[in-house]
Amino acid sequence: MTGKTAKAIFWLGTLSSAIIFLWLTYDFHQQEPKFVKTDKLNEQVVAGKKVWHKHNCNDCHTILGFGGYYAPDMTKAYYRLGESAIISVVMNPEQAYKDTFRKMPHLGVTKDEAVNMAAFLKWVASIDNRTWPPQDEKFVKAFQLREANAQKPDSKDIAMGACGGCHSLGDLGNKLSGDFNDISQRISYDRDTLVKFIHAPQSVRQGIAMPPQNISSETAAIIADFLLSLKAEKEVQK
Amino acid sequence: MIRYESQKVARYYLGLALILFCLQVAMGLWLAVNYAFTLPQGLVDVFSFATSRAIHTNTLVAWMLLGFMGGSYFILPIECKRELFSVKIAYLQLLIFAGTAVAAVVGFLFGWTQGRPLLEIPVPLDFLIVVAALLFVFNVAMTIILTKERSVLQWMLLAGVTFLAVLYLFGMPFFKDLNQDYYYWWWVIHLWVEGAWELITAAIAAFIIIEVTGVERKVVEKWLYVETGLFLFTGLVGTGHHYYWLGSPNYWLWWGGIFSALEPLPVALMVLDTWMHIKGRKNPIVNPLLWTYIMGLALFHFLGAGVFGFIHTLPPINYYTHGSQITASHGHLAFFGAYALLNLVVFYFAMPQLKGIEKFDDRLGVWGFWTMVTAMIFIGLIFGVAGILQTYLERILDLGYRTAQLNMMFWFKAVLFFGVIFLIGVLMTVYHLFTLKKAAD
Repeated sequence: MTGKTAKAIFWLGTLSSAIIFLWLTYDFHQQEPKFVKTDKLNEQVVAGKKVWHKHNCNDCHTILGFGGYYAPDMTKAYYRLGESAIISVVMNPEQAYKDTFRKMPHLGVTKDEAVNMAAFLKWVASIDNRTWPPQDEKFVKAFQLREANAQKPDSKDIAMGACGGCHSLGDLGNKLSGDFNDISQRISYDRDTLVKFIHAPQSVRQGIAMPPQNISSETAAIIADFLLSLKAEKEVQK
Repeated sequence: MIRYESQKVARYYLGLALILFCLQVAMGLWLAVNYAFTLPQGLVDVFSFATSRAIHTNTLVAWMLLGFMGGSYFILPIECKRELFSVKIAYLQLLIFAGTAVAAVVGFLFGWTQGRPLLEIPVPLDFLIVVAALLFVFNVAMTIILTKERSVLQWMLLAGVTFLAVLYLFGMPFFKDLNQDYYYWWWVIHLWVEGAWELITAAIAAFIIIEVTGVERKVVEKWLYVETGLFLFTGLVGTGHHYYWLGSPNYWLWWGGIFSALEPLPVALMVLDTWMHIKGRKNPIVNPLLWTYIMGLALFHFLGAGVFGFIHTLPPINYYTHGSQITASHGHLAFFGAYALLNLVVFYFAMPQLKGIEKFDDRLGVWGFWTMVTAMIFIGLIFGVAGILQTYLERILDLGYRTAQLNMMFWFKAVLFFGVIFLIGVLMTVYHLFTLKKAAD
């Protein structure tokens, strides 16, 4: 090979690839709205993104698969955990992960910050990214089912939507804390105590790992009824 | 025996780089401790994994850039057959760069961050980095412009450092849209390590090969053209292998997959030409350790960047491995193989000359080399095993993140063990470089 040929290979390779890459970049911007809800990118989402950066979340958690591998991916976290779990865990990680082998730092996230971040994660979750990550697809589908049923949600959907970030019910939800089938059998509280417990677990049972939940009294009442109905169901079976 | 007085500026660059190298590896061990053991909440609150990781990755980039800059300042006078354009600029630039790096690390400890992985340095400090980079590019460019003898190596190096500086700018703005944010984040990260840095590596490696082996410049330059041409041909469009899962048109699966699958090709050529030049050497082997490092660079570059990159670059595989410890495996092997070893080649080439030693006593350095290389191969393989386990448990058996991580504990402890061995190798190497002595006859 002569020096001239080598030089030609350099320029041909570099320029052809650069032209293709710049063209694809142009096209990426043209097509972006098909995959990303750019029209839903409001000020709250941007504020939430700034919170995400401020606390350097991305060096422990991946998002879109990029970042630290120390903690779960956050791309579809909104579907996996739900808004209330995101807010209560982010504000009280030392409570939520009291008994787990890996800790999340208490970052002093305020309520407003947590709400904005949940909005940001909701927007991120809506990105159409070819069903990645695979392990969260079931949460995406469950969320979509609940959404489709939004006109007339049953109490199970409401309970798992609010509590599924940590609790499980058979195949639904997450296994960070107990399964509702077991918990409901152990419950000895009446309905009012249970509602109080959901809002401020520490005030009912000191030292419990569950953080306070940011949900309305109506939702808490529905969840309490659901748990008590589970208990009754089991007793009838017996 | 340095040939030009201004080469001496390299000494401070290389010394600082070596110190940061130790800090980077020590911080890496701390990260492994975070993985392998449960730490008390009080400690996690004040010094989180996120902060440690920011320090681990930023000191990595800092010491490697210092190595590139110091290396460039050392070889430019020889290559241009003249003194550097300005020694004062070189010192000023070092002062700004080092000061910014220290400020950044201290800032991380107090939560001052841009909050984007690998680009944590806050924007005001970014501007200082840009000033340092501009001074560097200007100094290199002026030295090359004022030389009487032009060479391919000179402008390849200039192109590399200019490309590097320009790409840094894409990491500075705030993006409202996370999708676009990561699209351009890769312009810094990917186009650095699979573009600009490869150009610089290829140019510096070619220069040192010419100097050490004495093979004909024309032959080496021809290889350099072909290799860098292929690096950029595969690497530019190959950026697409990061665009599979961030919300993008389907064609990226094809463009990214095919071009990035070709990325090992130029590295394979590098192995071939290094081997041929060493075999066809015209000079005697004075310092065998330097030759070991040169061959080690080529082989480990191919293993870490080429083979371990190729393994998970195709979309059907990457769907399962993306964002797992498999990436950590590839990242460690590739950075060590391509850039840590390149820098160590530069150190072992330049530091004896700066001290006026022709043949140095290499016993400790040989131990350092083999300890580091062996430990890093294990670290890469163990991260790989942990990653396969993670992928299988979390994404195929669907057992959840926590269960998967609990089952990976043994491997995190194993990484910590080999990390300690790696650090020992690093300390031996750094100590050896700082205390180089003439070999006994």
